[in-house]
Amino acid sequence: MSGQARALIDSMPNHIESRATSLSFDEVFTLHHRAVFRTARAVVRDSALAEDVTQEVFLRFYRNLPSTPGEELLRPWLLRVTLNVARNTLRGQSRSMARDNEYHKASADWFAPAPEEDYERRIAIEEARRALDKIKEPMRSCLLLKQQGLSYREIADTLSLKETNVGSLVARGRKEFARVYGKIGGKR
Amino acid sequence: MRDCLDDGVLQSYFDDELSSTRRESVMAHLATCQKCAAAARELENENSVLATALAPEFDAAVPTTRLRERIDSAIRGGQIINVERPSRQWLQSFSALFSFTPQRTFGYASVVVILALIVVFAVIRLRESSHPLAVNNTLPETTPAVAPSPAAPPKEVFPPAPVVAALPKSPTPGYRISSVPSVREKGQVARVKLLPGERGYLKTIAALDSTIKGEVGRPMRPSLRAEYERNLALVDRALAAARSAAKSNPNDPDAAEFMFSAYQSKVDLLNTVADARINNRQ
Repeated sequence: MSGQARALIDSMPNHIESRATSLSFDEVFTLHHRAVFRTARAVVRDSALAEDVTQEVFLRFYRNLPSTPGEELLRPWLLRVTLNVARNTLRGQSRSMARDNEYHKASADWFAPAPEEDYERRIAIEEARRALDKIKEPMRSCLLLKQQGLSYREIADTLSLKETNVGSLVARGRKEFARVYGKIGGKR
Repeated sequence: MRDCLDDGVLQSYFDDELSSTRRESVMAHLATCQKCAAAARELENENSVLATALAPEFDAAVPTTRLRERIDSAIRGGQIINVERPSRQWLQSFSALFSFTPQRTFGYASVVVILALIVVFAVIRLRESSHPLAVNNTLPETTPAVAPSPAAPPKEVFPPAPVVAALPKSPTPGYRISSVPSVREKGQVARVKLLPGERGYLKTIAALDSTIKGEVGRPMRPSLRAEYERNLALVDRALAAARSAAKSNPNDPDAAEFMFSAYQSKVDLLNTVADARINNRQ
């Protein structure tokens, strides 16, 4: 993530804290829909499914508006729901596809990135996904969330981990990723 | 060195997750420890590998406007619109119809059986309505069954033998019905559904039968009677076979023809016997 983007994300909570105690639905959507959508897409590996997941996450947020945590812990809450919905969607998809004899053929298409992306980009995404697939939980989710700029505390909250363990988990995940990714051929 | 940094601390240092005092002590350590400095360089390399590898995934465009529209409309109507994949979902649900689970197979089999029954029923109804003569023939059936008077005088009952004998090989349906008076018929005749053209033969047969049996005063010679009944049974068997064939192939003219010729054989036999008995009496 670029320094600019990080600075933008860092500045957002401060900016909002100075206003109301709780954010409006519009503000929450504007602030967090990217993280929700990207996390969902990283799990379900399909843009259309990620849209479904994002919609479901924000609908749940809307229905539970009064009981959702304040803004400080809102992003972990949203991403925790995102991971759950995305994994359930993935399980449902896998189950329905596993019934099909052409599961492997179909899943090859299904895991492919959107067709509008150019070939090199698709290869790069595919290699990264294959490397991520080799990394065990919760290290993989730590990497995904870390990559989106979440703090250790937010990661711990999202994944129900101890904050003091997050550094080690990120370190182990990172090492494993670099090793597997190098083997796959991503280090060209 | 005894205070070497573990991976977690080093990672936290690079992720800017350490308190300021801890950060300073790590910096001081890295400045003096070759091993930890090498580990830090490796970490930086791996971090950049990770960031570069995951960048395409996370830098890909987010469809903000579409997401917003979908969520808004879902909140408004409680309805979920699917902007991107209507045809795909339609196809999926359509193709799901052709994935056979045991329950679904059973369901499809039941549907097929029900459809087949409906078709058979419809065909039967269609046939019935397309043969008005058959309907006409079956309508009065109930009345002769109750009407017959066993005491009907034989002379009124049977027409002159030559007329009956001259019954055409393939009669028009209904032919001669008017010429044959209402007579006793076999009980089963009233219940069985007649095929077109059968009724004329049945009436003729009934008339001849009653003529033959009506000659109560002059019983048949036992040997002659045995011969007559054996022949009659033979003809009846052939007639039953021909009749069931004609009934199961209602559109086959050959089957009907075969049935009529079986009837004709029976009429011929009865005619011969009746002729003989009448001539002998005279």
